[in-house]
Amino acid sequence: MKEEKDLKISVKGNIRDLLAFKNLTSQRRKNIEHASEEFKKSDKVNELAQILHPTIQNLMISEIIEETKSAKTFKLIPDPDSNTEKLAYFRAGQFISLRVNVGGVIITRPYSISSSPSDSLRGFYEISIRKEDHGFLTEYIWNNWDIGTKIKSSGPNGYFYYDPIRDSKELVGIAGGSGITPFRSIMREIMEGKLNVNLTLLYGSSEENDILFYEEFKEYEIRHPEKFKLIHVLSCEDVSLEGCEQGFITADIIEKYCDFNNSSVFICGPQVMYDFIDKELSKFNLPKNRIRKEVYGEVKDVLLLPNYPKNMAEKSFKIKIKMGNCTKEIPAIANETVLVAMERAKLAPPSICRSGQCGFCRSKLISGEIFVNLKNDGRRAADKLLNYFHPCSSYPLSNLEIEVPRS
Amino acid sequence: MIKEIKEQKVEDYYDAVVIGAGNGGLIAAAQLAIEGVKVVLCEQHNLPGGFATSFVRGRFEFEGALHELCDYGPVSNKGAIRKLLEDDMGLDVAFIEIPEAFRLIINDPNEKLDVIVPFGREEFISMMEREVPGSEESIKNYILLSEEIINAISYITESEGNPEKDILIANYKNFLKTAPYTLDEVNNALKIPKRAQNILNAYWCYIGIPTSRINFTFYAAMHYYFLIRKAYIPKYRSHGYTAALESLIREKGGTVLFNTKIRKVNVRNNQIIGVETNQGDKIKTHHVISNASPTLIYNNLLFPKTEVPQQALKTMNARRHAISCFVVYLGLNKSAEELGINNYSYHIYDTTDTEEIYESFKTLNPPKAQATICLNNVLQDCSPPGTCILSITAFFLPEAWENVNSEDYFNLKNRIARHLINTFEFATKTSIRENIEEIEIATPQTLARYTGTFGGSAYGYETDPWDSFMSRLMEMNNEKYIKGLEFCGGFSANCQSYTNALLSGQIAAFLTLQDLEKKGDSE
Repeated sequence: MKEEKDLKISVKGNIRDLLAFKNLTSQRRKNIEHASEEFKKSDKVNELAQILHPTIQNLMISEIIEETKSAKTFKLIPDPDSNTEKLAYFRAGQFISLRVNVGGVIITRPYSISSSPSDSLRGFYEISIRKEDHGFLTEYIWNNWDIGTKIKSSGPNGYFYYDPIRDSKELVGIAGGSGITPFRSIMREIMEGKLNVNLTLLYGSSEENDILFYEEFKEYEIRHPEKFKLIHVLSCEDVSLEGCEQGFITADIIEKYCDFNNSSVFICGPQVMYDFIDKELSKFNLPKNRIRKEVYGEVKDVLLLPNYPKNMAEKSFKIKIKMGNCTKEIPAIANETVLVAMERAKLAPPSICRSGQCGFCRSKLISGEIFVNLKNDGRRAADKLLNYFHPCSSYPLSNLEIEVPRS
Repeated sequence: MIKEIKEQKVEDYYDAVVIGAGNGGLIAAAQLAIEGVKVVLCEQHNLPGGFATSFVRGRFEFEGALHELCDYGPVSNKGAIRKLLEDDMGLDVAFIEIPEAFRLIINDPNEKLDVIVPFGREEFISMMEREVPGSEESIKNYILLSEEIINAISYITESEGNPEKDILIANYKNFLKTAPYTLDEVNNALKIPKRAQNILNAYWCYIGIPTSRINFTFYAAMHYYFLIRKAYIPKYRSHGYTAALESLIREKGGTVLFNTKIRKVNVRNNQIIGVETNQGDKIKTHHVISNASPTLIYNNLLFPKTEVPQQALKTMNARRHAISCFVVYLGLNKSAEELGINNYSYHIYDTTDTEEIYESFKTLNPPKAQATICLNNVLQDCSPPGTCILSITAFFLPEAWENVNSEDYFNLKNRIARHLINTFEFATKTSIRENIEEIEIATPQTLARYTGTFGGSAYGYETDPWDSFMSRLMEMNNEKYIKGLEFCGGFSANCQSYTNALLSGQIAAFLTLQDLEKKGDSE
């Protein structure tokens, strides 16, 4: 076998190669010397990133529409006194998270945008809100919001939108109550010719008077019957609405109106509706990529959560919090999320989706025990191992010590 | 302002401020915290890692950026990164070895190629000889030269950038002679057959400029670590070790501030005196380690503007921001096996002409190259049974995306993603599009959104010979324009890549420590 001989390389000749090495720095110095000494003017990639994903949008109410006796649509435009000039464009079905100061308590609430993406280019968003009984925020909104009221929001967020690469052109929408709002955005997008899909929408309401956008949807149906079909499903006893179904959205109703095997199904509604629909849909054995569910925000009743230790629900604890330079001890109760405890203490913690999903509230659990709602658990695998948690979907089960980013 | 929020502001003195919690910034802050230095790490995003991150969609947790981590090595023969993370940082984070370098597919009918590039010296040489008979000797010489280069780099690093000329000439002559040249120039000098160069050069997309411009030294070193020392990925995605580093910094007494964007780096008489943030923090310090690029520091952050040295602006303007990435992340509802995706890593090129491919990065037409990984072929249980994760990465120069507007943005993403999926299906003879359960698409704007990197650039500055590892290192001291300011990360002297960025963090920390100790002596 031949011995490996010493490598003697020559690229442009021995001497020239060694000189070239010496010239490396002089070439560099020459290039720098010949360069401009101006500041760079702009960075358009970062600019568009900011326009698409602003941290804060400063908005103002320009119009309020009474939809039903308990629901209003708020038209929001950029606050003319702020640095928000344009609204962020979005994908039909996405939400914005409002950031509202209720007497010093700063809280967030995600609301689906009920207007179309094109409307945002025309300068407005609409959000449609139903007043809840004893709702901390909606009560405040009904008493305080008026034309000219200023509101801060996040940029558009969420993953509840039609994706042309993933989803079928035949869409089935299942909406319950105010879960109709993202579908109104999707529908407007279809009517404007920007979204090439056919939508069959099953819309559950408790009674006729609770139906949102009735006239607008009716008009779409008449204008484009081939693209859009709407079936109202009313759960009340007395039903007089023509062509509607009575009861809940069951497998039978779904089968009656939809070509299920060739459709993508989008579902948005309250927690109880998901529990019901899950059972109904299981009868069809659809692949998981055919079903998308919107998150529903904070869980209203923790006692309904599987594995929640019911004996703990009323217990109170203390949470020691470090946020930036500030260390504080605040009270908390086991049936409210750690996020709510921090908001009550006026700490203005970060949050966007309030559903455990977006991770914007991600914090470090230094000590103590929490209950995590596993149905809303968007934590990363490593975070679970390293004791990071999402306060918006976690409940204290002991005194806690945590470190939380500022918002 | 509400009292409770006002109380959260940071106004203390810190020995050092680290800007940005990317690979470099995390290591820098961790190293300083370990040494007992009072350090604060400010990160504009709400997570550690920068590009080195992960995200969750539905039942999938996607790797943000990493395809393979070089110079990690097995326990029996630790590479620099394993030593850094395990020995210096004391972390216990699981990394898994990847089975082969990549499968290389060239679609051009005239240059058709479909070959699995293996790890290991002998395996690599015999694959080359099999594919290109007669190439063996030149490939052996290439590896011999690469070995000399990494030995030379180790020597230069150990000498802290002040190597002795005699030793360089005596032991590392081939290194000196090839350092000024490009990959093509040296490959030709080594008489590597053209078809063999096509295979040898296939790693180029991780450097991001054509082989006619890539500095040979940089390529050979990176390529050698990758091929011979094999590569690893973290078990719990990049977030697995970046979150562990974040925890470590806190444990060692360091401060980590998320959602905290530096607005100003205050300078007086050419010396760092403090930083101000979007949270209203006013931090006094004499030492800043920036994971943000020199471009962002000199162009946007140094205050007042009159303190920005003209020479710093010239240096910034002479350099070119490297390519950005476009990634299609797919959560598929069938297993990799069911879909016939048998390899971990695929490099798929439309042509072997790297200049032609690089040109395609300048427009919004579909890029002519992709690097695709299927995570499950290394981490079997990284997604639920019966599913798998595929991510397709392509590249663009920042300028290509400059004139995109909001309204076209989503359609543009979809158009390019669709093309990349089609190309993957065509090249691998698989069919995946019916099985997409989750899809997310990252663009240069996405990279800019999460890291603030100029133009969305992912690979730092381009590494032509005059601005590659050697030339940056040799001029490092001459280009130190502000006292108390060090750089780390992909834009630093180490050049880009996870490996280099991580190592650069430790170097920046040591340089800062030296300064702090010097001052300690004089005070």
